[in-house]
Amino acid sequence: MRDNIKGGALTEVTFYVLLALYTPKHGYAIMQFIEDSTDGRLTLGAGTLYGAINTLLSKGWITPFGDGDGRKKEYVITNEGKSIASNELARLNALVDTANKIIGGNTDE
Amino acid sequence: MSKKHYRFFGALLNAQENWLNKMSANGYRLIRTSKLMYEFEECKPNEYEYQIEFIARKSRSSAQDYAAFLTEMGYKVFYKNINLNYSIGKVRLRPWAEPGGRIATNSTTYNRELLIVEKPHDGKPFELHSTIDDRIEYYKSIRAPWLFMLIIFALFGVIMRSWIFGAFALMSLIPTILYQLEIISLSKSAKTNE
Repeated sequence: MRDNIKGGALTEVTFYVLLALYTPKHGYAIMQFIEDSTDGRLTLGAGTLYGAINTLLSKGWITPFGDGDGRKKEYVITNEGKSIASNELARLNALVDTANKIIGGNTDE
Repeated sequence: MSKKHYRFFGALLNAQENWLNKMSANGYRLIRTSKLMYEFEECKPNEYEYQIEFIARKSRSSAQDYAAFLTEMGYKVFYKNINLNYSIGKVRLRPWAEPGGRIATNSTTYNRELLIVEKPHDGKPFELHSTIDDRIEYYKSIRAPWLFMLIIFALFGVIMRSWIFGAFALMSLIPTILYQLEIISLSKSAKTNE
């Protein structure tokens, strides 16, 4: 995960995993969620997803969900994770606004 | 009816991967491995796909955790040896590994350096590492043991003025450079993309 120090931008994978975990999910469901919400543009490798989950666990942005005995391991976003995700949404909105002002108005020329 | 093949690929990760995928294309699925032996059973041609992952950097518990995760994702995994040393009480130091994996013995990570990962063929690309950053990390983990050997052999070669160590150093230099080139080219694209 590459954190931009000045902007605090999240990587796309980080943001999608956080979004996926607003409802508890196991690994495979996270991958499915990301594939579905990007119409297959972003297909996550299992090793990459494994790394992302472990990084987010150690940062405390997500946490294991349920007692996890016997069934597949599930994860859910924490309050800290939610505030990180909200900040990212605000940052992206500002970026989209700027992009729309510059590119958006010129598309039909 | 099962079929046994005897092969040793050592550190040639791609060759092993290609061979397994060729076996699958011919309608054979891996069911068991030992040091030299691969046992297959018949399946539909191309029913399964294979990838080899180098995991010697991990500790025993994190390798198991990773293998369990891949199994949960619907893959089948096999551990595989990268060396042919099966002597009892073998201990190998791996300063380049993560904490917990630095002393490798037969009961921990020695002879479990590789994971063969099998995925049912579903038309989607089979890549374990899909982002630039993650691929850089992965190639660094393969480069590490080669770089370590290169330094050790070069050092011995110079100190002991031995051409044999020098030759070993040169041999370790080749994979080090190949993985280094991968890392450099990925790092270039990481400047603008992720």
